[in-house]
Amino acid sequence: MTRVAVTGLGIISPFGRGHDAALAALRSGRSGIRLITSFDTSELQCKIGGQVPAEAHEGQQRGFDRFTRLGLIAAEDAARQANYAAIDVEPDRIGVLVGTGMGGCETLDASYRRIYKESLTRVAPTTIAYSMYNAATSAISTKYQAKGVSYAVVSACSSSAHAIGLAYQAIASGQADAMIAGGADAPLTFGSFRAWESMRVLAIDNEHPERACRPFSADRKGLVLAEGAAVFVLESFDHALRRKQPIIGEIVGFGATSDAGHITDPSIDGAARAMRMALRDAGTIDYINAHGTATQANDVTETKAIKEVFGEKAHAIPVSSTKSMHGHAMGASGAIEMACSLLALNAGFLPPTINLDSPDPACDLDYVPNQAREARAGVFLSNSFGFGGMNAVVAVRTAVAADLLT
Amino acid sequence: MTRSEIEQKLIDIVRQEKHDLPDEKLTPQTTFADAGIDSLDALTILFAIEENFKISIPDDRARAMKTLGDMIDAVEALLPSVT
Repeated sequence: MTRVAVTGLGIISPFGRGHDAALAALRSGRSGIRLITSFDTSELQCKIGGQVPAEAHEGQQRGFDRFTRLGLIAAEDAARQANYAAIDVEPDRIGVLVGTGMGGCETLDASYRRIYKESLTRVAPTTIAYSMYNAATSAISTKYQAKGVSYAVVSACSSSAHAIGLAYQAIASGQADAMIAGGADAPLTFGSFRAWESMRVLAIDNEHPERACRPFSADRKGLVLAEGAAVFVLESFDHALRRKQPIIGEIVGFGATSDAGHITDPSIDGAARAMRMALRDAGTIDYINAHGTATQANDVTETKAIKEVFGEKAHAIPVSSTKSMHGHAMGASGAIEMACSLLALNAGFLPPTINLDSPDPACDLDYVPNQAREARAGVFLSNSFGFGGMNAVVAVRTAVAADLLT
Repeated sequence: MTRSEIEQKLIDIVRQEKHDLPDEKLTPQTTFADAGIDSLDALTILFAIEENFKISIPDDRARAMKTLGDMIDAVEALLPSVT
């Protein structure tokens, strides 16, 4: 099987745009959750979210839906780092896989508002093209003239983890030589908030937004909706070495399972099987970036699943939820979390789980509470467990691992 | 509204959608292809025209359009109070 190198990483999140913005927040344990300003929340109970700061993206991309614009920005940064123009293979040997959980929310919200609230009869002719789930994939494929295997990947909160895993398999199996893969989601809209409020899983703390998301904590109240995108350039190891492109990581395993259980209640078994499948190729690991949504159901279930897979060793593996800082960017979260993990671990530290002052007794692992920790980690798992019971786990070797330094 | 007023308003609408179009491309004779207006651009411009002039352009007429002049003709024909 062909080995798969990571040569480019782009991230735009509530931390801002780029590696430095993300690293600074992860190292200092600073939350990106704040009062939402991108739309009017005055009628909503929940007025907080992981909003991408306006100055990080506004005016930088024209047209499209917000999720596609964020995806394009992340792709641009990944392509720059990977020196994409120097990838010397036929365009049909490069594909694009972008995961999204909720697609063009901004576009649909605007059109529904016209039809149902303003009683207008027509909506923008771009409504279909901008709201479709593969719009970001299409825009990135066009911009980078990637003409190989390309589609959108949709599995709720696991979407981008599936996209990265499938891109890894496309290169490993010889279907492509390079892939642009990741996720983008922009669900901070009025309609989407109404729907999430109705599920009663949002952490609502409008007075202290940065304290709202408390994964693994006894007093956790639920998830905080967020937006953002992270995109990677993946290519065959040999190709990266031949063109002397610095390798910043290696995808070493992918597990994907379905609970075949309940549409919203997570299962220990489905999560555990996905982790085992990723480990089959990866071997031992040094860190887990948890799905860690801070809902009642996820955090206990995920903890039990980790213990089921690793047994007594589970307590020796640091596990953190960076969602405590960037919130839950739905289908983009797997890619954002893999990006946060790779950036932090390559910089020599484990990102913390913030707001963890009183752990839930049922959550008894080492969650790297509140403060980043210096560490050398060679391989990590990035867990994503989506509604619908769709689980995706990606195993990544960091640049700290010796065989990447050569 | 005179034909030249319609033309001016239409040019303003087109310019909003296609910022980078030079003035010499904004004539009634310019075809969409010449102006780099693709099918989705044309639909967006027609949508803005309908909103602005408060008219409804039938699909058949919209599909037959090839130039900015065709758009002006349609507006002129459909506006209730053309002088």
